[in-house]
Formats: sequence, structure tokens, C-alpha cells
Amino acid sequence: MSQAEPTHRKNKVGDTDATVRFSGVQRTYYLGEPVHALDEVSLSLPEGSFTAVMGPSGSGKSTLMNMVGCLDTPDDGTVTVNGQDVGALSDGKRARLRGSELGFIFQQFNLLPRLTAAENVTLPMVFQNVVGESRRDRAKTLLARVGLGDRLDHTPPELSGGQRQRVAIARALVNEPSVILADEPTGNLDTETGSEIMELFAELHDDGSTILMVTHERHIAEHADRIIHLVDGQIEEIEHVTENPPVQGSETA
Amino acid sequence: MKIAESFRISWRSITGHKLRSTLTTLGIILGIGAVIVFMVLGGGFEKDIIGEFEGEESTSIQVITTTESNFGQGTAQNKIYTEHDMEAIGEIDGVDWVAPDGSLQVVQLSHQGKTVTGGGAGSTFSVTATNPDRFRADLFEMTAGEPFEKGAMDQAVVNENFVKLYDGDVSVGDEVELDFRNKPSQTVTVTGIVNDDTGNGIPPRVHVDLQHYETTVQTPRGAEERAFSYLLVNAESLDQVDQVKKDIQGYFDGDSDARALKGDEQTIEAQTTEDAIEQFQQIVDQIAILLGGIAGISLIVGSIGIANIMIVSVTERTREIGIMKAVGARKRDIIQLFLVESIILGAVGAALGVITGLGIGYIGISVAGWPMAYPTTWILIAVAVGIFVGVLSGSYPAYRAARVDPIEALRRE
Ligand SMILES: Nc1ncnc2c1ncn2[C@@H]1O[C@H](COP(=O)(O)OP(=O)(O)OP(=O)(O)O)[C@@H](O)[C@H]1O
Ligand SMILES: [Mg+2]
Repeated sequence: MSQAEPTHRKNKVGDTDATVRFSGVQRTYYLGEPVHALDEVSLSLPEGSFTAVMGPSGSGKSTLMNMVGCLDTPDDGTVTVNGQDVGALSDGKRARLRGSELGFIFQQFNLLPRLTAAENVTLPMVFQNVVGESRRDRAKTLLARVGLGDRLDHTPPELSGGQRQRVAIARALVNEPSVILADEPTGNLDTETGSEIMELFAELHDDGSTILMVTHERHIAEHADRIIHLVDGQIEEIEHVTENPPVQGSETA
Repeated sequence: MKIAESFRISWRSITGHKLRSTLTTLGIILGIGAVIVFMVLGGGFEKDIIGEFEGEESTSIQVITTTESNFGQGTAQNKIYTEHDMEAIGEIDGVDWVAPDGSLQVVQLSHQGKTVTGGGAGSTFSVTATNPDRFRADLFEMTAGEPFEKGAMDQAVVNENFVKLYDGDVSVGDEVELDFRNKPSQTVTVTGIVNDDTGNGIPPRVHVDLQHYETTVQTPRGAEERAFSYLLVNAESLDQVDQVKKDIQGYFDGDSDARALKGDEQTIEAQTTEDAIEQFQQIVDQIAILLGGIAGISLIVGSIGIANIMIVSVTERTREIGIMKAVGARKRDIIQLFLVESIILGAVGAALGVITGLGIGYIGISVAGWPMAYPTTWILIAVAVGIFVGVLSGSYPAYRAARVDPIEALRRE
């Protein structure tokens, strides 16, 4: 469990090549007592980095993801994605940024049940007005990459949980996003399937993708370069992982 | 998002719920179907009747009595046109002849031993006493034989429906026995067969000489004279028809027996064939307006149905909306998706309504034996209305869909 060497370093703000940057981000919910979902959070995600977020339930992990994902905007402080101040963008521009620069992977997969695997994968292209036959080719390439080259025309109900998550990963990659966001991607999968999915994440990381992933499980988090520990909306520590665990059942990594 | 893309995705969600989509569009299908059925039937009926006259200008002028009541316009059968009036009209410049319609009541007809009992008003046949000039009207065509001789009590002209009544077994020279209700029966010889079918509902009819007619009224001048409920006047030429009509109208509006005898709410009208067609057209138009109202109500019901289903659908698909927003859908993309969906429902409903309407209308027309009419304008209006209903009923649900908060939507279990 503790083969990673914890390096108790505070996050440094100001990396010039950071894809995502938070500075003094505040998000408060008022339901009687104010709840600080995020409290003065500053961090940055360098290009090509793989960051895991851990913390107890209610510590603000999903809120953080929603901020990076341009689904939410800070009450105070700034969030920049690819140099653009998310809070200053119009609703439509934020949607555009979301479609082109971010790829979401969820615990519940969140595929459209009536669309085929290929159509689900290319859905983000539809909203970016990418047309033509190239779309089908793109879906084919990506589904082959996640090991589903023979399931193009299956709908989600015809696929297993692991296969659905692979479709979701292919969908997250389709517009070549700057950041891939994953909120407990293995949360609904058994250990073995979860490991296969983490293997895919490792491949994406090797290929240079920037990844931000929330997880409850330490061994999943250890696939990342570093682990951000959130408690009560604040960064408690940023742990640097020195040695990634071998992927279960496969030694090819 | 490209419109074609939203069609593809919306179509998928419509066909994903076939039963629900069908039930949703039912209101529209029925509303538009009803209008089209009527338009086909009305159009066929109109063609059938107007087709008879079309292109043929007529020198005939009919004098009828109309009644204005709460239920619209009707034709009255009061016997107000006296012999004195007939003579006066006969003297108008340009009038060729005047023929009245004197209805006689005949209880039974016998022909070659086969007796038929009347079934009309008062269980009688319509036997018309007139003068033979009547058969010179261009509205009628003698298909066999010739008119009876003026004043010949024992001669008659029968119409084609009468021949049909005897399964075609009636020819010129045959004898027919007329069993009158209130005088001794009379045997007449058929001198000719006339086609008097100026539309629908002409019963089997026997025309006999005016001498048979005995109904009299007390005229305002104190005399006892025969009187009729209808006059057929013929102008000498087409050029004179309009002037003759005006003069006849002028006579009746002036010092005529008919004006004194008619009821207060009744109007005497001299009508050319053109006038009659126009009046008929007006009735058809009025029914069309009435039907338009009924269709409007059913379309309102239909659009409420679509709106209702769309709102349910937005609630049900909140998560899907969240997913689409997470992968880059803008508000306007979501609006577009839901509007396209309701427009498809409206337009497909309208198209199915048109098809159903044409189908049922065609069956109706075949049964009635009228020509088929394709109400092109109404078909276009129906489709336009379908699209309009789609936009109208989809707007609010689409607006609601666009406002879905993706964070909330995705957090749902
Ligand atoms: N819409 C909301 N209204 C009110 N409070 C909210 C809302 N969303 C989140 N919160 C609160 O903000 C805090 C952080 O929530 P968040 O969902 O980010 O937690 P989390 O770390 O993802 O938890 P979990 O591990 O259970 O998913 C919680 O205390 C939560 O109750
Ligand atoms: Mg969470």
C-alpha cells in the first residue's frame, strides 16, 4: 500500500505550460450553513500529467472535476483551461470549450442508450459540426484502440460494464481533448475489469494525454504521477507517486 | 449542430418509443384526417353537381321562395305564384316561355301489372303537372320520345329514375296508371323519357299536363286561381338572361300576387343557373368554415398532447441532456433537438392524417359515386399546420430541456 514515497510538497502555482490552472478557487453552497465545496484551491495540471484526486466523501472532488470540466464556475478565484478564463466565458463558449478541449469519463458510463457504440463515440463531433464519412472512420479507429473494433454497431444495453466504459473512453478521446476527466472510472466495475481500464489509462498517459482522475481506491490512484488529497474543500497534500504499480494480469505496460 | 444531425437523433428517439409516438400524434392524425375526408367528399360532391352545368351557359331562370330561419336558408314550398303572375311574366320582354311546377299526390303507380306504392312525403309519388314547354329547357334532355301534347290529359313524360324504378323496363308508348289520392285514377301513355338529373336526389318522377292540377288559392285581387310553388322561365337568348332575370325580380318585388301571398320571412328569388351554383358554393364554403373550427379544436387538443409528451420526455431524458451538454452541446443544440422532435411528430401526424383522410374520403366517394377530388390546398395547409403545431407544442419543453443543469442531471442515480 505504501510503496509510493510521499513527498509532502505544497503545490506550486505558475507552471507556464500548464493545461489547467486554479488560483484561489472558491465554491460555496448555501443551504442554511454555508458549505465550502472548494476553499481557496490553487493547483495546476501540466501538459501530459496524470493526476489523481482522493479524499473522503463530500470533500469536493466532484466539484473540482466540474470546475475543470467547465460545467461549473468559481464563486471566487479563476480557473483557466488552455489559457482561457472559464468564468469569463459565455454559456455557449463554455459548451464549445467543453466539447473541444475536455473529455469526460464517468462512473456510470453515461452513454446514450439508443445510439450505437460508434454513434456515441462520435456524438461530441456532432456538436462541433464535424461532418462526413470521416466520423465513422474515427469511431472505428478509437473503438479498435480500446479493444472494441468489432462492436461498432452495438448499443450500450448490448455491452458489458467494462465494454461500456471503453466506449466512454473512446468518446472522451474523439475530439483530441487537452484534458481527460475521469470521476471514479472504475467505481462500477469489478477489480479485474477495473485493472483493464487502468491499463488503458496508462496507455493514454504514455501517449501524452493530460489526465485528471477521481478515485476512492489507493491502488487505482497509484497509476497517476501524483495524488491530490482533498479534505473539506482544501488541498491537504499533494503526494508524488514514484513507482506505478504493474498492471494486473498484464506485463506489457 | 447541423439540422440533418438533429433529424437523425430525434428520429431515433421517436422510433425508440413507437407506441408513445403514435398515441401522441393521434390527435393530429384525427383532426387533419377529418378535414381531408370532408374536403374530398365536399369536393367530389361539388364536382358532381357543378360539373353538370360547367361550361354550359343556360337560358333558364328559376323562381323560388327562400326562407330565412335560425337554421340558415331553406327553400319554401308555399303555393304563391298564381296564374296571373305567370301570365304577367310571360309578357316580359325576352321571355320565351314560363312553366310551373304543380305537385300532384299519387299514392300508387301501376305499369304492366306491377304496382309500386309511394314512399315520399305523405307516402306519395311526386307527379308534376306542368306544360310541355318545360322540356325545351336546356337543363333537361329528352332521351327518348317527345313531350306530351299541351292539354292532353292521357299523356306523360317520365324521367330516367322512373325507368330505373322499373328496372329499365319502361319505353315510349307504355301505359302507366296513376292512382291519385283525391280523384279518380288516370291511365297515361308515356310519350317521352327525360333526363332531369341536375344533381343528386331527383326522385322517380312523372310529368303530366297542367290540366291535372287543381290546387287554387284566393288571390289578393279576390279571384280564385291555381297557384304554384315554383316557376321555370326561359329567356329567348343567352344575352337576355340577365335582363330577363332583373325584370322578373322587379315584377315580384312590385305589385305581384306572390308578394302579397308570401310569408313575412320569405323572399322571392329569380335565379339563373349561375346564381344557383354560386349559392351552392356558398353553402359548401360555410360548411368548410364550420369544419375548420372543429379541426382547429382537435389540433389544439393534438398539440397539447404533443406538448405533454415532450415535457414528460424532457424529464425522463434529463440525464441524456446532461450527457449531451457534458460532451459539448450548447443550449441552442438542445433546443434544436427537442424542437425538431416535436416538429417531426407534428409533420408526420399531419402526413398520416392526410393519407388517412384521402383513403377514407376515397372510399366515401366511391360509395356515393362522385368523382375523386384532391384538395391540394388543404393538404398543404394541413402539413403547414402540422409543422406549426410541432413548433408551438415543442417550444416550452425545448426551453425546459435547454435549462437542464448538467451537474444535477449527471448526479442523478
Ligand atoms: N448542488 C449542491 N447543493 C448543495 N451542496 C452541494 C451541492 N453539490 C455539492 N454540494 C456539497 O459540496 C460538498 C462537496 O461535494 P462533492 O460532490 O464535490 O463531494 P465529493 O468529494 O465528490 O464526494 P463523493 O466522494 O461522495 O462523490 C459536499 O458537502 C456537498 O454536500
Ligand atoms: Mg463525487
